[in-house]
Amino acid sequence: MAKQQNAPLPATKPGKGNAKPKPTSGAKVAHKQNPLNSYFSNHLKVIKSTIQDQRERPLAAFFTCSVIGVTFVLPVLLAILLANAQSINRGWDGSAQITLVLKQEVPALDAGVLAREIAKRSSIEASRFIDKAAALEEFKEQFALEDAIDYLDENPLPHVILVKPDKSLNNIDLMTNIKDSLESLAEVESALLDVIWVQRLQSMTEVLLKAVWLVAIMLAIAIVLILGNTIRLAIENRKEEIAVVKLVGGTDSFVRRPFLYMGAFFGLGGGLISLILINFILFVLEEPIHELARSYQSNFNLSGLNFESTLFLLILGMVLGWFGSWLAVRKHLDAIQPT
Amino acid sequence: MINFQNVIKRYEDGHEALCDVSFSMARGEMAFLTGHSGAGKSTLLKLIMLMERASKGQIVVGEQNLSRIPKRQIPYFRRHIGVVFQNHRLLYDRSIFDNVALPLEISGASPRDIGRRVRAALDKVGLLSKEKLQPMQLSGGEQQRVGIARAVVNKPPLLLADEPTGNLDPELSEEIMKLFAEFNQVGVTVLIASHDLALIHHMHHRVIEIHQGRLAQSATMVENHG
Repeated sequence: MAKQQNAPLPATKPGKGNAKPKPTSGAKVAHKQNPLNSYFSNHLKVIKSTIQDQRERPLAAFFTCSVIGVTFVLPVLLAILLANAQSINRGWDGSAQITLVLKQEVPALDAGVLAREIAKRSSIEASRFIDKAAALEEFKEQFALEDAIDYLDENPLPHVILVKPDKSLNNIDLMTNIKDSLESLAEVESALLDVIWVQRLQSMTEVLLKAVWLVAIMLAIAIVLILGNTIRLAIENRKEEIAVVKLVGGTDSFVRRPFLYMGAFFGLGGGLISLILINFILFVLEEPIHELARSYQSNFNLSGLNFESTLFLLILGMVLGWFGSWLAVRKHLDAIQPT
Repeated sequence: MINFQNVIKRYEDGHEALCDVSFSMARGEMAFLTGHSGAGKSTLLKLIMLMERASKGQIVVGEQNLSRIPKRQIPYFRRHIGVVFQNHRLLYDRSIFDNVALPLEISGASPRDIGRRVRAALDKVGLLSKEKLQPMQLSGGEQQRVGIARAVVNKPPLLLADEPTGNLDPELSEEIMKLFAEFNQVGVTVLIASHDLALIHHMHHRVIEIHQGRLAQSATMVENHG
């Protein structure tokens, strides 16, 4: 980057009239250092001065970061809730079961054999055969309908096999496949997969996922615009400096650099503030959600941001900040030409 | 070092700032550019700096045809020209040292070299003791000397100045001009736009007079000091 090529003007010494254009004045060569070194030392210097600048105006910097931080909170919070909903989706297998209703003509003995055979399948963890006579007894006891049922000529209940699929199959499509294959057995009248609530949850989370993406994209645009505006003002404030830098040979990337770092800095600050806010909100929500889950006999716990998502959020903040300022810089820096 | 051939500069509003200007300056020469304000002095300097492009004609600076320098190469070209402005154009949010160091930082000098060369430049203009001060703490003459230090810190082979003494009293003006002459003595080509005729004639250097965008006939002929 910090190349000093071309050296259009030849040496300063008189009497070297027809020297080829090259950087002859020894000192010029001497003051150059490894281009990569000077590149990084310039970056380091810019980073330092960016931080220094913000420390001189802590309140303004804090407000800018806060705007970004608050903007971040909504999509991130939605994403966290969504991730939790999806984890419910994934964790439902414990309660999943397929109920096989057998045909009336299947004798109890055959049904028992069938139940054992099903249990041997690799996709099935366990099965339980419920004899229709036993079921009727249970039914009578549970609902105190002895008299009513005694009027019936024969037992209207079918034999039933309860099938518990393997725990590793925690996906609705796979479950449905198993259900279908069981339903196709000759002895089976019908199979019921108790997944409607899971399906509902899943389609809800799908809708929500789309909403989160839309909200996130819109708020990302908002962040880019907010930062673009902030950087535009910063450029406006440093017009004279930019003009002078251009006059003494500053390249566009040199001029751009402090503003890009400023944008990234605000983005990072915004990310940090949003982390604080999000963790605070999760802390406030934790107890009510726990209560709610308990009322459904669940020990569900709200999980917050892990290390990766925290890192991601901070990097995303920086990238958005950098991008917003890049847009502003691209639009406004070229307009500033020394006069 | 500088060669103008039939240069025309017409601004977008139709105003013709320079018409058919031809002149050349040898390497190591020092010259004054004079004329009324609005005569085209600043435009001429801007063309050399590539702050403006000529509408017609050819300008060669240090063996480079300016019309062939693409926009993104302009910064590298400018690093070989020192410029001094009437209003100094110092940056008021940083110290004298940092102001002078700016061109070196831009060209990627090491901090050690920056320190050495900034102090050498400040020493040359007699402000070594004030490197830590802010520009506002200096007098007008001193600020202009900081501007000169910044212009020469890169050791450019060409030094341009646009009314460098415009805001200074005669005594300070002469000091500043002597400073330019000193740089010229060590081989720097110096072109100074000024309308301070008394001072200019006192200096015994070539005078290029510009009048309503044209070079005055005599101007190109007047040549002394070698």
